[in-house]
Amino acid sequence: MTASAISEGLTLEKGGARRRRRVDFPGLALWISLVVTSLLWALPFLIMFLTSVKSNADINQNPAWALPQQWDWSNYVRAFEIGKLGITGLNSMLIAVIKVPMGLLLSAACAFALARLRFRRSKALLGFIAIGSMVPVQIGLGPLFNTMLTLDLLDSKMGLILPYLAFGIPYQIFVLYGFFRAIPDELEESARMDGASTFRIFWQVILPLAKPALAALFILDFVATWNEYAMATTLLRSQGNWTVPLAVQSFSTQWGTEYGPLNAFIIMSAIPVLIVYLMFQRYFVSGALAGAVKG
Amino acid sequence: MATETQSPPSGTPQTAQRARKPRRLVTALPYLAPALLLYLYFLVYPMLDSVRLSFFKWSGFRTDVPEFVGLANYVRMFTADPVFWTAARNTIFWVILTLAVPMVLGLLLALGLNRQMAGRNLMRSIFYIPSVFASITVAAMWRWIYNPTLGLVNQALEQVGLGSWAQTWLGDPKIAIYSVFVASIWQAVGFPLVLFLAGLQSVPQELVEAAKIDGANALQVFRNVTLPALKPTTVVVVILTIINSLKVFDLIVGMTGGGPAQSTQVLALWSYTQSFANHQFGAGGAVATVLLVISLALVVPYMLWSLKGQDK
Repeated sequence: MTASAISEGLTLEKGGARRRRRVDFPGLALWISLVVTSLLWALPFLIMFLTSVKSNADINQNPAWALPQQWDWSNYVRAFEIGKLGITGLNSMLIAVIKVPMGLLLSAACAFALARLRFRRSKALLGFIAIGSMVPVQIGLGPLFNTMLTLDLLDSKMGLILPYLAFGIPYQIFVLYGFFRAIPDELEESARMDGASTFRIFWQVILPLAKPALAALFILDFVATWNEYAMATTLLRSQGNWTVPLAVQSFSTQWGTEYGPLNAFIIMSAIPVLIVYLMFQRYFVSGALAGAVKG
Repeated sequence: MATETQSPPSGTPQTAQRARKPRRLVTALPYLAPALLLYLYFLVYPMLDSVRLSFFKWSGFRTDVPEFVGLANYVRMFTADPVFWTAARNTIFWVILTLAVPMVLGLLLALGLNRQMAGRNLMRSIFYIPSVFASITVAAMWRWIYNPTLGLVNQALEQVGLGSWAQTWLGDPKIAIYSVFVASIWQAVGFPLVLFLAGLQSVPQELVEAAKIDGANALQVFRNVTLPALKPTTVVVVILTIINSLKVFDLIVGMTGGGPAQSTQVLALWSYTQSFANHQFGAGGAVATVLLVISLALVVPYMLWSLKGQDK
């Protein structure tokens, strides 16, 4: 894998130097190796899809890459039942729909104060906050469990949303700080001369200017929230409160795993993030780097 | 957006600034407070509490009173807990391997996919989409691929006459960690790929052309123009890769649960297991503290560097 990828990198550069030739052989070689690599990358998805439309007997008797003997879409219905997608999907959606916009708003407000309302030690405070985006969440899981127990918020959606907010905020503040910082002072000054309050400046001047960053953070945060597993598995107990990632375990019992429905479930569980990703795709690349990279 | 920025700077900003100054910290507080309180209570406090708990012996049950034991948890962890050392070794191994394979592969793919070519966008998506899947579902999917009898890998090996190579990929303590790592490469490559693609937009094309006119070969252009321009991106990718590697959890839980025989154990999971499965919150806190120290040692220098640059 690595060796072929290295040769790809080299052919690329050669191809660039010789592109005036009529047939660009190095470029063609690069293209072919990229196509082969991406086919290899797509293979698990193909197998996942094929498995999701096969009956159990078919899975047990025929090779993984064979087409299904009979297209069995009932696995998708079974997946819905076993994974309780009606409940878990709704829980996940509810959490994401509350958590993501609220987290962005709180982060934006905090980043606004740090970047635009110059008080002393604002940068040290930023550093203190940003460090939080870089420590593994598992470090605090034990005590977090106790905190939620004390607050009587264990095994509840609220008890998941609050730490989700806390763990999403640091990175968002870090990125938005960079964005807000780059906005020229004159804009804010003139708004203030026109009599705008601090809140109006935040709401009507600064926030609209940060739309691309907010859109990018929205995707990243939605995907992260929808996929979060470690905290959810620690803080949620009853199945009625489970989020989608927790439902994966329902497909394996002591008698084995139901692979057909499992693969159908994996496909369905990724649909919301794929939709969000495709909707906001154009903001993604700019936003993923924004604030993190200097210059 | 541009239209909103057109109001001209008017008046004398200096006087305005002076008039506002005394209100500043008070004005800032309502904006700071909600985020800051959540951050302190649900992130900073649990982290510090993990460190505090590491000096206690406690089962985690409310009826049980934590007993102060000093450094006993640490002594036992370093001297009498072989799993800790396996977990530490695997964590470091994971960081290095992730820097070596998915990151380099991501860079090479980004260089390739940065050119105009047929199917470019489709290929970019194929490499990126695995990283928007939940790791826990990726784990379930690869467990299926590695299934000893029905899985893709063994069936394919048998098909091409290499049946003797078939393994219990996740059941053999010697190879399980590599098997999990292969799944991780598949999922992880999209992220550096996207960041490097963005970074490549900042390579100055005039410089590339000029170097070529001066007779530089492709490798020289790459080394002297492309690579320096990618430096800031690379720093970010390296630090994010390290952070993500230290956090690895879902994939291991979903594929092996740390087994067989603890051979795929990592620090993040071992801390969790000690606390919640073994009911030793003190021992779990000690592992968490080690992980915290490693994270901070790696991340704080980057933070300082990054903050220094923010205002330029």
